[in-house]
Amino acid sequence: MNQIQLYMKLKSTLAILAITLSIQASASDEKFMQAMLKHIDDVYKAATLQEYQSAVNAFDRIAGAEKSRWEPLYYSAFGNIMMAIQTSEAAKKDGYLDLALQALSKAAAMAPEESEIAALEGFVHMIRVTVDPQTRGMEFSMRANQAYEKALKLNPENPRAIALKAQMDFGTAQFFHAATETACQTNEKALLRFAENQSDNPLAPKWGESMAQGLRRQCSGTSKN
Amino acid sequence: MTRIATWVLCFITSQAIAQTRISGTIRDGHGESLPGANIFISDSYDGTSSTADGTFSFSTEETGKRMLQVTSIGYVHFEMIVELTGQDVKVEPVLQEEVSELDAVVISAGSYTAGEEKRRTVLKPLDIATTAGATADIAGALNSLPGTQKVGESGRLFVRGGDGSEARTFVDGMLVLNSYSPSAPNTPSRGRFLPFMFKGTSFSTGGYSAEYGQALSSALVLNSKDKAELNQTDIGLLSVGADVAHTQVWDKGSWSGKVQYTNLRPYMNVINQRVDWINPTTSLEGTTAFRQEMGKGMIKAFASVSQTDFSLYRHSILDPNFKQAFDLSNRYRYGNLSYKTELSNGWGLRGGVAYSYNRNEIGLDGNPAEETEEGTHVKLVGERSLSRDVEWHIGAEVIDRDYSATRYNDTIRLTLSKSFHESIAAAFTEAEVLISRKLVTKVGLRYEYNSLQQTSGTDPRASLAFKPGKRGQFSLAYGIFRQSAPNAYLSLAHQLGPSRAEHLILNYQILADQQTFRVEAYYKRYSNLIKFNNGDPGLINNAGYGYARGFEVFWRDNKSLRNVDYWVSYSYLDTQRDYMNYPMAAVPTFASAHNLSVVYKHFIKAVKSQVGLTYSYASPRTYYNPNQPGEKFLSDHTPSYHDLSVNISYLPKNWLILYASCTNLMGRDNIFGYEYSTAADASGQFPGRAIRQPATHFMFLGVFITLSKNKSMNQLPNL
Repeated sequence: MNQIQLYMKLKSTLAILAITLSIQASASDEKFMQAMLKHIDDVYKAATLQEYQSAVNAFDRIAGAEKSRWEPLYYSAFGNIMMAIQTSEAAKKDGYLDLALQALSKAAAMAPEESEIAALEGFVHMIRVTVDPQTRGMEFSMRANQAYEKALKLNPENPRAIALKAQMDFGTAQFFHAATETACQTNEKALLRFAENQSDNPLAPKWGESMAQGLRRQCSGTSKN
Repeated sequence: MTRIATWVLCFITSQAIAQTRISGTIRDGHGESLPGANIFISDSYDGTSSTADGTFSFSTEETGKRMLQVTSIGYVHFEMIVELTGQDVKVEPVLQEEVSELDAVVISAGSYTAGEEKRRTVLKPLDIATTAGATADIAGALNSLPGTQKVGESGRLFVRGGDGSEARTFVDGMLVLNSYSPSAPNTPSRGRFLPFMFKGTSFSTGGYSAEYGQALSSALVLNSKDKAELNQTDIGLLSVGADVAHTQVWDKGSWSGKVQYTNLRPYMNVINQRVDWINPTTSLEGTTAFRQEMGKGMIKAFASVSQTDFSLYRHSILDPNFKQAFDLSNRYRYGNLSYKTELSNGWGLRGGVAYSYNRNEIGLDGNPAEETEEGTHVKLVGERSLSRDVEWHIGAEVIDRDYSATRYNDTIRLTLSKSFHESIAAAFTEAEVLISRKLVTKVGLRYEYNSLQQTSGTDPRASLAFKPGKRGQFSLAYGIFRQSAPNAYLSLAHQLGPSRAEHLILNYQILADQQTFRVEAYYKRYSNLIKFNNGDPGLINNAGYGYARGFEVFWRDNKSLRNVDYWVSYSYLDTQRDYMNYPMAAVPTFASAHNLSVVYKHFIKAVKSQVGLTYSYASPRTYYNPNQPGEKFLSDHTPSYHDLSVNISYLPKNWLILYASCTNLMGRDNIFGYEYSTAADASGQFPGRAIRQPATHFMFLGVFITLSKNKSMNQLPNL
């Protein structure tokens, strides 16, 4: 075998290896996509703690196997936040929120420029306030706002970041009996973005529109008063 | 080459063939089935959640020996190796409950912790600002906790029969000298630090860690806040001055600065004072804090500079028309730099440098006196987990102090001076061992060398906590503590050794969600206290001794009444000491047998206000009456002390807070003691004068404004 033949053989072997590896890669990609799509559907449809927990468990398993993807961590955090909202006992609420924050900080390390992660972090802090508003109000509403600001800086069009910020501003304005118009305007902006915003990423978050519609109803209710 | 491809493809597809079914039931330590647990093969998608009856079943395509994991919130992570061959696998994992923060056994004898996050905390920083009667002073709020004695004319912390100098303050582990602002004679002083600079406070009334030295009675450990989160500017307009603060934040750090100007003159002009002021207190204070994350650690720097001045007339007791001018000018600087990091080899490292400078220039009828203390503290501590149940600390520190005082003596027309330079080198080590989930112990040793007397000593510290059930816990603490003689005496007699105190504390506490009950009993033995033989300060020695014993009860409830938070503290103290110029052992003037505080806070949502009420009681204190014969030394008693204070915080807008407070609503004329003329009157009696509150009430009004790009916040924390 001369040098050229050896080179050709080496080249074709490498090519085949590359193809087989990419088949394996795309096979695992496919598996990842299908599993994610199924469980994203589950977490959106979940109503009970058990249903949320089972979706969160699934995302945690995927996150354990796919160590470079932020999406499973994101949805695990989302499910934990939903459970925190449904739970009344303070210590348990904190437990879910701690898990959500853990997942989000891992996710943020993988995708530091992802606006959705920052927005969801703000959501965690916002729920944290509700556990003990008197002592936590200041610190955690500050942290929530900071996270929303970061999310909007990374993507000013992120409908969830806008909608969450509207929720926060609305709650604060109500607490101080201040005008809620600015918050309601922000919320309208979010609703507009929900209608427009269609991401190419099939795994991109889609939740939040009904939350914004709920706030719209509250807004029209207060304006009548 | 096609062979290779076929082989690779076969390998991929072969993974899809063998399937193993894993099933079983998840139970907790009590045998109860556990729903919602996550059961899975590590690093794979394969797994499931346990159903309502704890059962589960799933199939996996993985083969060989693999790790099966079970996780569930509130339970310790479970792992086991399973062999996956295609044969069904049955497993029955039992998950142990995780020890939650509230349920964990933790040494609690002697100490009260306060922090923002932890549930275990007794006082939160916000509590300090909103405790009526405390006027946002740290010592003021801690005075509502058991173990403290109300000494109204001082404002300092007096802990378990100890005097004000026996309680020391540490910021980020570093010693602070002169931690109180100067105040006119017999008027309460305030701590130099604002409560909201700190994320956590640990107030120990005895039995503290070997890390803290040079404190006989109490260690107040303040941990400063980490990096700030938002850019903002705060403005405060107060009835006694104004302040402005700014915080600037960047990616990995933050900077904040505050300038505060206080002038009591307008207030003193309106509210009649018992003090004959020439120039009421004015002070200008600047503080700055800097935080920078570095690698795994954080650098914290803090600096404070202040200048305080006042002057007044002191009236003679014998002839009130005869008066002497007294003026004081105080300059104070404090800075500390600390760093905390984790090393890659499992060691945690923290260290710091602190510098304190305090200078008082006093004029008494134009005759100057001055006093300067300058101190440097350097400390390094290493921490390491030796195993899951053993935490080990080791550290060393040097506390170097220079003190000098000069006074012009009018009678002999000479300037007298005294001074000392003292270096204390110390090393300490401590291990915390979790013997079981119900029993934890901490054992430490502290070695100190003092350059002034060229002596050294080793002090043991030990504590233990036992938690037999779910909520109740017993703690026991023992330790020997030492502290150099007060500056005024040490500068006269360099050979004076440190005073010693031995603490023994027994504590029982029940912690529940938003409710705390504690009861604590202690015995404290003093030795080597300062003593003047035959009342002659020239023959000063360490022959003084004393004891303090008592018990305390604390109850805090933030749960039973809606929007109401209240706590009740009661302390009983029995103490005597024979020290200074005492002719015999007697109850010192700063001790009161019974102290009671009731703190009540009510948040009224409809008017966006928080109202706070604090009632304090202290039983009569002894005072020295020179008209009594020698054997009746300190046998006279003041009337008891009563105070009911109120404060209101009103938040009309999210960037605005209005704050008002008033002490002594009942208008009681509290008497803290009596002072006597050094000269007898015509009848041979020494005339006396009551030491009273400078004014019946202290009223305070403040307007706090926050400017920030973010409109949904305000500076309640900065009260």
